[in-house]
Amino acid sequence: MSGPMGGPMSDRTARGGAGAAREPGAARTAQTAGPAPAADTVPRAPRLRRPFPYGHGSALARQRRRTALLSAAATALLAVLLALGLGAGEVHVPPLDALRALLGLGDTADVMLVQELRAPRAAAAIVAGAGLAVAGAVMQRVLRNPLASPDVVGVTGGASLGAVAVLATGAPAALTPAGALGGGTLAALLLAALSWRGGVTVTRIVLVGLAVQQGLAAVVNLFIVRFPAELAADALQWTTGSVYGRTWTETGTGGALVLAGIVLVLAGHRRLAVLDLGDESAGGLGLAPNAARLQLLLLAVLLASVAAALTGPVGFVALAVPHVVRFLAGPPTAGSLALTALGGAVLLLASDLAVLHLLPVHGLPVGVVTATLGAPWLLVLMLRRLKPATAESTPR
Amino acid sequence: MNETVPGAAPAVPDSAVPATGRPAPTRRAGLLVAGAAALALCAALSLAAGSRAVPLGTVWHALAGDDAGRDGLVVTGLRVPRTVIGLAVGAALGVAGAVAQGVTRNPLASPTTLGINAGASFAVVTAIYALRLEHPAQYLWFAFGGAALATVAVLALARRAGELDPVRLALGGTVLAAVLASWTSAVMLASHRTLDEARFWLAGSLAGRQTGILLPVLAPLATGLVLALAIAPALNALALGDETAQALGVPVARIRAAGGLAVVLLAASSVAVAGPLSFVGLAAPHLVRRLLGADHRWLVPGCLVAGPLLLLGSDIAGRVVLAPAELEVGIVTAFLGAPVLALLARKAAR
Repeated sequence: MSGPMGGPMSDRTARGGAGAAREPGAARTAQTAGPAPAADTVPRAPRLRRPFPYGHGSALARQRRRTALLSAAATALLAVLLALGLGAGEVHVPPLDALRALLGLGDTADVMLVQELRAPRAAAAIVAGAGLAVAGAVMQRVLRNPLASPDVVGVTGGASLGAVAVLATGAPAALTPAGALGGGTLAALLLAALSWRGGVTVTRIVLVGLAVQQGLAAVVNLFIVRFPAELAADALQWTTGSVYGRTWTETGTGGALVLAGIVLVLAGHRRLAVLDLGDESAGGLGLAPNAARLQLLLLAVLLASVAAALTGPVGFVALAVPHVVRFLAGPPTAGSLALTALGGAVLLLASDLAVLHLLPVHGLPVGVVTATLGAPWLLVLMLRRLKPATAESTPR
Repeated sequence: MNETVPGAAPAVPDSAVPATGRPAPTRRAGLLVAGAAALALCAALSLAAGSRAVPLGTVWHALAGDDAGRDGLVVTGLRVPRTVIGLAVGAALGVAGAVAQGVTRNPLASPTTLGINAGASFAVVTAIYALRLEHPAQYLWFAFGGAALATVAVLALARRAGELDPVRLALGGTVLAAVLASWTSAVMLASHRTLDEARFWLAGSLAGRQTGILLPVLAPLATGLVLALAIAPALNALALGDETAQALGVPVARIRAAGGLAVVLLAASSVAVAGPLSFVGLAAPHLVRRLLGADHRWLVPGCLVAGPLLLLGSDIAGRVVLAPAELEVGIVTAFLGAPVLALLARKAAR
């Protein structure tokens, strides 16, 4: 695997960070400058004056309106998908009846079907999608690299390995999520230990993460080759990510943890924004960059591990959703972070519906669909973003 | 901004300062000869070691055709093909890695980065599913075609204004590999028979193949090797940066295209024969660069020796560690590769 890069993106995040750090002057100049030459990667020191209040026509206000509008649209889409998902299946329930049944109203058979069978699966998709997307967004911002995501730096690889190891010992299936959670956390610890060298640098975490991911994938591969055929299929299913057969117990626990994680990330958003200004500026603003970065990364790792424990490491949600949101809603703010969570939930729920009802082959893991849907988007967005910067991506 | 461009940043670190610490030609030649001797020893060990250990003397007799006993049959029937295939595949992977790193100026580039393994895996798994194939020899052309197609797709993604852009190359390769990998899992999950057939091929192995499997890929192997040796001097100029290379009169775009073609031919042939193998293409150039310096005129021949050395070494390790059971060489190389990659990454990121 080769080094991902993040030239133009760090530039953007730096600007967005300026906006989010409540320095409207800096944000405004950066945004009205449009596609400024990417050369000035060093963000300007935030101004002390506040010449531009949050006026009705300011760029910041416009972006806020846009984010709010997009969030409303995403919520509506999520509701529609949920109604469709709860209704569709071998026993068809009309979407509105399905939503009523979710609340315990209407035909008892419908209520049973929706509440016990279909709702946990949909809830698992929503929870895991939101968790993965937010984890990816935080990682990409903290590590200032568009390819940094739990998929790439080994967290989901660790979750796969944990789950597969539990399968290998023949422990009851209920323990598999615990294995995934432990594996993801262990992988993150391994990553931290390997990339700590009197401090952490962003580049080193990303590159060492690639190595950790490859090593873990090799171990998973070893298991799959050595397993008897049925176990190999189970393991493969897990490592591609699937929401098949989730129950309320695990979805409830996972949902609570993911919700807590997202709230913590939103609460820590100011630190995220200050980090975007660069280590020196962050230090100047009274933030210890290394400690803040580690805390935020740890949070992202836990979020991704919990999500992976619920559904397995569904690929591309963490990688692609933050990019799409950035493309639609502009530089990252706390609002766009919430939008990212919604976007992840929509993507995973829609992909799961496609797996269940649109694809001719049954029993495919949802990760296949998210990768197929996510990759072209990601490629188009990233190649487009790279255009202005390619000229200076030549080595020093 | 270079701090956030990990892979593409300091290319081949030593190449920017060619004057310092360059080993003398005699020393380089000596090292190359020593490497060849080590390779010969490795090949001999590969003939002797395994679940049925054969003394070296018997190996010699078997090779000379004097020994028709059990041991002789094991050596000539199983281990000679395995060793020959290991030599060819290792050499192809090593050289492909050296050229890939030179062309992309990215120390972490390797055939795997270009989507070779992912493309071959997907093609083979699909072929097993659709055509009900059952033997690695039948997978050959599917693997070759899949690998070549994936690489051409990655190279096409990376083309900009007639040139290969190293950063787009890395991005396109990573994303394409991830998508193909998920499709591979999808096919295997849709059919258990495919999963059972394919998972052993997917691990990457030198065992269970006859020397004849090399015949169809002989032509692409030779073409790729000649091409790699031919562009080696120009890769030195490329290491100085596109503009400098252009100023030195090197046709940058054409060299990149030729290098890409060489990597495709070499790596697609090796994956067709042995299945997807990581690490060798990545590590061989780094090992050689450390010993012989960054001059591609030495690096490419050096990888011709170091590649098979690493691959045969891993294969022997895979036979010895779990004896009498065997570990597929692809798994051994992946295990060895991860720590090496982590160390390289630590160094590259300083």
